[in-house]
Amino acid sequence: MTPKRVGTMPISGWNRATLVMLLAGGQGERLYPLTKRRAKPAVPFGGMYRIIDFTLSNCLNSGLKRVFVLTQHKSLSLDRHIHAAWSILHPELGEFIQTVPPQLQLVSRWYAGTADAVFQNLDLLEEERPQHVLIVSGDHIYRMDYETLLQFHLQHDADLTIACTEVPRTEATRMGVVEADGDARVHAFTEKPAVPAPLPHESSRSLVNMGVYVFKTETLVRAVIADAKQESEHDFGRNIIPTLVRGQRRVMAFDIVTQCPPAHHYWQDVGTLDSYFEAHLELLLPQPPFDLFDASWPIRTHARQHPPALMRNAGQREARAVNSIVSPGCIVSGGSVVHSVLSPRVQVEAGAVVEESILMPGVRVGQGSHVRRAIVDENVVISPAVEIGCDHDADRRRFVVTDGGVVIVPEGTLMGHP
Amino acid sequence: MRRILIVDDDDNQRLLYRELFEEDGYEVIDAGDGRAALAVIERDPPDVVILDINMPGMDGLQTLTRIHDLNRALPVILHSAYAAYKDQFVSWIADAYVTKSSNPDDLTDAVRAVLAAKRVP
Repeated sequence: MTPKRVGTMPISGWNRATLVMLLAGGQGERLYPLTKRRAKPAVPFGGMYRIIDFTLSNCLNSGLKRVFVLTQHKSLSLDRHIHAAWSILHPELGEFIQTVPPQLQLVSRWYAGTADAVFQNLDLLEEERPQHVLIVSGDHIYRMDYETLLQFHLQHDADLTIACTEVPRTEATRMGVVEADGDARVHAFTEKPAVPAPLPHESSRSLVNMGVYVFKTETLVRAVIADAKQESEHDFGRNIIPTLVRGQRRVMAFDIVTQCPPAHHYWQDVGTLDSYFEAHLELLLPQPPFDLFDASWPIRTHARQHPPALMRNAGQREARAVNSIVSPGCIVSGGSVVHSVLSPRVQVEAGAVVEESILMPGVRVGQGSHVRRAIVDENVVISPAVEIGCDHDADRRRFVVTDGGVVIVPEGTLMGHP
Repeated sequence: MRRILIVDDDDNQRLLYRELFEEDGYEVIDAGDGRAALAVIERDPPDVVILDINMPGMDGLQTLTRIHDLNRALPVILHSAYAAYKDQFVSWIADAYVTKSSNPDDLTDAVRAVLAAKRVP
């Protein structure tokens, strides 16, 4: 039987003809100090995961098995994580998830922007010769079946398809706003507009760029080369997309709200400390908008071997964990954990209280200490009777406190020790 | 006067194109390989470069990327006996690709077009 053809490609081969470039080279400045020693995509998330696991799981669940992860700054922990968690494909079958540090092959500079990262890796495209390139980043928590996106791209014979979501217009001022006609053809694209254009059918909301793009390979290559030869910020949102739209290229908007099932409508940028914190609290809601337990779209990670989580009383003090994620290897001995995320190997000692907080792997909270609305980075040791998040003036003298009132205790901190 | 840098490892080709462009009123400089071409460009950049691809040592495509790295605004015309290099993405960094042929107008037209696009008077 002849496979059904759309455009120039048999539908059955869509995933083999698509290469993924995952841009993981950003500085992650807005997540500092969580990005002091690691790239943003390697920042832990949700107790067990790293941010990049969500995008890579989307690739795997969508059947996309040719993935280059373009790394740059502080890539060691990202590299280690990808090696440990994602070395599961078969290179012999042409499948791979491969980290690529800057090769300095075409030019002798660091990546000057997202488009420059692709430009500098033209040889990867040359080698793989995909028909389409999916560009994604490691900054977002979401579920997306990229097959639906790719099929939409093929059916519309698009040069570029931009995955979009709908947000309140007030939030759209810090995003790339997409204006599309009734046929989903994009006729305007504005990065961070002061007055975002509303959706035609809903004046209080705007259509915004999710940072997930499918390009025809030739369109992508020509666009990044033209951009590399100009004064530019070398950015997909600021430069490449507006140029293609102005040049009347076939740019389409794929609105996940109308194209995807409701379980796949959640999309959260975790690029700031406050949004990162809020995304964690959302995991703990009675009906979480992003459900880690959705077996139809599993999220994969590197799970080290740990003993099971243990809750035990300490004398008269009862161990308690309410509305919380408690990962393997944790010991809560007579402490209280409320609305919090405990990563593996966290210890909460007798009488200690952890509220609305994210504790990263290996954190120890000593007896009688109180941790409130805080993100505590890996292996921090909090001695007995220390307060964090209870007096922001005191906190500010030692730590970053966000606009949202979240205290960040960075890696390497030993608190309360003489 | 507009300056052209001709890069080709074949002495006869360099001579041929030197005469062609000098007749048209260009100042012509030439280089026999990629490294020599880069040295000229660093010292005293021309208005346009005509670049052969098959050369010993640093080939034309490598030279092209080095030129881009040094001076991304400098127009380059790839000039090869083979059309197949056109399919290589890296060749698309060049402003034009002209296949060596018996008709020299192809090359002079490309030079004019590239200079006009860059608004070189």
